[in-house]
Order: sequence, then C-alpha cells, then structure tokens
Amino acid sequence: MTSLIIVSVLAVAVLYLGLFKYKTALLPVSVTGLLAAAAMAAMDWDLEKMYFSEMMLFDNYAVAFSILLILTTLLIFGLSRNYFEKISNNVAEYYALMLFALAGGVVMVSFHNLAMLFIGIEILSISLYVLAGIRRKDPASNEASLKYFLMGAFATGFLLFGTALIYGATGSFNLAAIASSGAFESALFRAGVLLMMVGLSFKVSVAPFHTWTPDVYEGSPGLIAMFMATVVKTAGFAAFLRLFLMAFAEASAFWAITVAILCILTLFAGNITAVFQDRFKRLLAWSSVSHAGYLLLAILAVGFSASSAVLVYTIAYSLASVAAFGIMILVSRARGNDHLDSFNGLARTNPFLAFTLTLAVCSLAGIPLTAGFFGKFYVFKVALAQGYTWLVVLAVINAMIGIYYYFKVIIAMYMKENANAVAIQLNPGFRLVLSIVVFLIFLFGIFPGLIANIL
Amino acid sequence: MLLQSSASSYLPILIQGIMALAFVGITMVITHLVGPKRRTIDKLTPFESGISSVGNARSPFSIKYFLVAILFVLFDVEVIFMYPWAVNFRELGGKGMIEMFVFMGMLLLGFFYVIRKGALDWEK
Amino acid sequence: MSHFLIVGAALFSIGLYTVFSRKNAILVLIGIEFMLNAAILNLVAFGRYDRIDNEGQVFAIFAIVLAAATVAVALAIIINVYKQYKTIDPDKIKDMKY
Repeated sequence: MTSLIIVSVLAVAVLYLGLFKYKTALLPVSVTGLLAAAAMAAMDWDLEKMYFSEMMLFDNYAVAFSILLILTTLLIFGLSRNYFEKISNNVAEYYALMLFALAGGVVMVSFHNLAMLFIGIEILSISLYVLAGIRRKDPASNEASLKYFLMGAFATGFLLFGTALIYGATGSFNLAAIASSGAFESALFRAGVLLMMVGLSFKVSVAPFHTWTPDVYEGSPGLIAMFMATVVKTAGFAAFLRLFLMAFAEASAFWAITVAILCILTLFAGNITAVFQDRFKRLLAWSSVSHAGYLLLAILAVGFSASSAVLVYTIAYSLASVAAFGIMILVSRARGNDHLDSFNGLARTNPFLAFTLTLAVCSLAGIPLTAGFFGKFYVFKVALAQGYTWLVVLAVINAMIGIYYYFKVIIAMYMKENANAVAIQLNPGFRLVLSIVVFLIFLFGIFPGLIANIL
Repeated sequence: MLLQSSASSYLPILIQGIMALAFVGITMVITHLVGPKRRTIDKLTPFESGISSVGNARSPFSIKYFLVAILFVLFDVEVIFMYPWAVNFRELGGKGMIEMFVFMGMLLLGFFYVIRKGALDWEK
Repeated sequence: MSHFLIVGAALFSIGLYTVFSRKNAILVLIGIEFMLNAAILNLVAFGRYDRIDNEGQVFAIFAIVLAAATVAVALAIIINVYKQYKTIDPDKIKDMKY
C-alpha cells in the first residue's frame, strides 16, 4: 500500500518539478522514488493485508507483480534519458503520466473489489491515451492515440456493463463474496463474466479484439510502445488472472471453453501475421499479441501454480521486450527507420547490440538457456496439468512459427552486410539497462528456480 | 430492507407525467387558437438583446473556450464525491474529514497546475 | 426491476450500434457514453437490493467521474487529430503502411 502511495505522490511531485523547471531533477527523483516504492512493496511480503474495507488486498501475488511493474518502469526510465527531450517540450508530463499509469497498474494487481479493478484500469488507460498521442505534431502519433482511445473506451463500456451484471447476480463487488455467492448458474452472472472477458481482452490485446495493437504500437513513441508492451500487458494479465482466480474460479467449467477459443485465435492471429511483417516495431507488436495467447493458456489452467507461471512468463517477456524495443529505438534513430533491412550488419558495427537483441528474441521465441524458455515451459506445464494437451500442441506449433520470424532479425544482423553502416552510439543509460537485461535473461534462464517458486 | 414496489406503485408518477404532458399540449393549442396573430418581419427575426442577429449560431468558436469548459467539467464532476461524504459526515467523523481534505488537496494541486500552465489565461 | 434491465440493455445496444455505424469520432464517443451510462443505470438499479452498503450507488459515482475524465481526454485527442487531418472520421485517418 505504501508503495502505491509513493508512486502516486511521486507522479504529482514530478509534475510540479516540471512546472518549476527543475528538468535535471526529474530522472533522479523518479528513479529514487521508484526504488523506494519497490522496497516498500517488498516490505508487505507475507503480510496479506486488506485496505479500505476490503477494497484492496496486498497479498504475495499483488506484491510480486507490483515489484515487477515498478522495476520494469525503472528500466524504461533508464532508457529515457535524452529521449523525451527530443520529441516534446513537456518532459515532466511524460514521467508524470507514466507514473500515473504505473499507479493504475499497481491498483490493477492488488484489487479485491471490482470497483478498484475498474478504477485501476481507467487510471492506466487514460494516462496511456495521452501518452500515445503526446507527439502532438506527428500524425501517426495522433492516429495511435485516437485508435487507442476509441478501442479502450469501447472496452471500458463492456467491462463496466459486465461488472454491473455480476453485481446484479451476486449482490457484491467483493471478490471473495462473488466467489462464495453460488450464483454461477444464473444467466446474469454468465453474461457478466463474458462481457468482462471481452473488456479485458481488448485491454490486453487478445484476438479477435487485438486489431488496434499494431497501429497503436507503431504510432506511439518507441518508449511508450515499450511501456505498453511490458508494464501495461503485465498489469492487464495480472488483473485478468486475479479476477478469474479469486472470483470466477468456481465457474471455470463455463468460461474455460471461451478462453480456449480466444487462446487459439490469438496465437494464430499473432504469429501468422507477424511472419509477414518487414518492420521490426510492427513485428514486435504482432508478437506481443501472440504472447497474450500463451498467457491465456495459464489463465485457462486456474489453480495455484497458474499465478506462478504467469509471473515467470511476464518477467521473461518484459525483460526481452525492454531489450528488443530499446534496440529498435536505437536502430531506427540511427538509420532512419525500423525496417528489418536496417538491422543488416549490426553484428559488425555493434556486436554488443547484436548480441543483446539476439538474446532478447531468443527469449521471446523460447529458446533454452534464456528466461523465455522457462516462461513457456511453466505455462505449458500448468496447461498440461489441467488436461489441455491439444491446446499445448497448437501452442508449440505456434512457438515454432515464432522462431521463424524472430530469426529473421538475427539473420539480418549476422548474415547480411550493410556497406555504409556506422556504429551506433550508446549513452550510459542504454548500456546499463541493456547489460542488466542481458544478465537477468541469462540468470533466470539458467536458474529459473529464483523466480518460479516465489508465488 | 428493500422497499416493495410493483408496477402499480408507479401509477402516481405515470398520472403526473400524463398531466404534465397534457398541460403543455393544451396550453400550446389554446394559445394558438385564442391569441391574435400579427406576422411582421421584425417579429420573425430572432431576438438578440435588441441587436440584429449576425450569422449562423452554429459557427465555430475558439478552442480556448473548449479548454476552460473541459476543465470546468472535470472539477465540477469531482464535487459529487462530496455529497455522500456530506450525508455521512457525522458517522465518518474526524477520519472522514481528513480523507476529504486529502482529496481536496489533490484537486487543488491539479488546479494550481492548470493555473501555472496558463490554461485559464484568457488573453494569451 | 426488469424494466431497468431492459432499458439498460437497450441503451447498451444503441451505444454499440452507434459505435459501429458512425463515421464521426464525436458520435462514436457519444455511442461509448451510451454504453457506459447503460452500465451505470444497471449499477444503480441493482443497488436497490444492496441497501446496507449502497455499493452500487457508490460505484456509479466513480463510474460517472471516470467517464467525465475519459471524455475530457477524448475531446482533446479529437481536436488534436482534427488539427492534423482536418477530419475526424476514424476510417479516413489512416497514415500507416500495412
């Protein structure tokens, strides 16, 4: 709880720092504040405390995901030095909005009442609508913002209507009360669950509600797309799982088949479309859709180990995405675009970048010795334990398709030559963050027990 | 405790609604029939405080107005949180008072931000 | 009770139809507002069964406030888009290459 307060106050403080023109203090203050927030979140470990008449519950699930969200934001802030200054005058607003979005994310992973879920999602989304369109003079950014807004607000309508129906069927917004209400057979409840599922699917870009994803990712500034792919997706899935685990688990016989269908659709839509992309940012956007499919597998297998599998997967996915988007930003800035050809010869000019990107896409593809392998491994394991063998088979086929398109960029970097390529300059922030990411991907890839047994 | 209500308990409201509509309809018809009619050009032009009307009323207006209006809506809507608080003022006691002050403080921070940014600066 | 639900469902459907059929971002926004308000109406209607906590009413207040915040951001975005494109038809705003 303290961490949530710190994040919110930090956001306001950063806003005021910008107002009084202390631009150099923005980054140090944000980083210090986030570290403090992560530390305070860790202090809540094993306390299982309820806050505000059972509105929020800071159990280990909430703490683990809060820390993950905060640390991912920290990594993104590490990359953001001199980035926002180039595209906008309102640097403080960037930081403040990202912190507000983070506060929304923390609420989303710690809610114990549908009201807090709704408020958390709205805080996160409204900040992001603005962030997507913050490059005010850039048409693509405006388009991204408008699309994201229309889709997001539309999804909110579904979510709110679903919430209302569930409230009608069970008489409460409290997750525990919903779970013990025994109203799972009523039509009202079922309609409510389906509507909430649709709303959440929009937010985490699950097919067939994923159509906004590539356009929004492409139009938004690179770091914001990175934020969407990591923090927002993690928060969205943590909220999705928490809701279905704590409130709807008893009714799983009813919604499981729907989730299974969404899962297949998402996997195939994401992976097959990604094959045909020749721009790296769009490829990453489609791959983020496909990763939503793998994560749905874990939600399908509600149970104690599902949260652990989702945690491992989101950690691996966030780390790899930070590296992939970060290098995408560097390359597109140095070479003018993010076309796959721009990566040609990167291994010769910047061996470190090429190595990091290779590791990142291997982790995204799920190659052994990287964190991503164990992410997929645990997700498949919990799905198999629940008897979804056919689904896991389909998922493995998709993982192979994934390997194909992820390796296109590796081939571009190592096999193809670019005569007039010059080395890309790295600032210290990038160097530090990418080194940390490389270290962690290896660490969790070799010792998965470090994160697999947290929850 | 749940108040029992059925379709019949809405009957008074229905009657009232019919009465209201009927009153409007009847007065309109009667004034139309009874009143004298003098149609002149002056009478048919829209009345704008004695000044002859200029242009279409649906013309675009300044964006500045939009900003002020939207900020007004935001701060205005936040006030609804004060109604439930005011109703339960005694039960909530000192703690509720502090929480409301925190809430108002946050709103004020936003308000100062708006002022400093010059969003309410009409002349700019 | 069922009257409220029917009105709520009807409003929701009208909103849904508006979102899909309109070629103007403002009208799409109005459709979305229809959907939100349908949900709010349902919340208040169900709140009748919950006289102790009044959770439904409280949730409705929060939903109203958040809807207002969304609209504020939305209008700002739409104005910005209009400045760039001189149109607010979401179907015509397509710069990106596929």
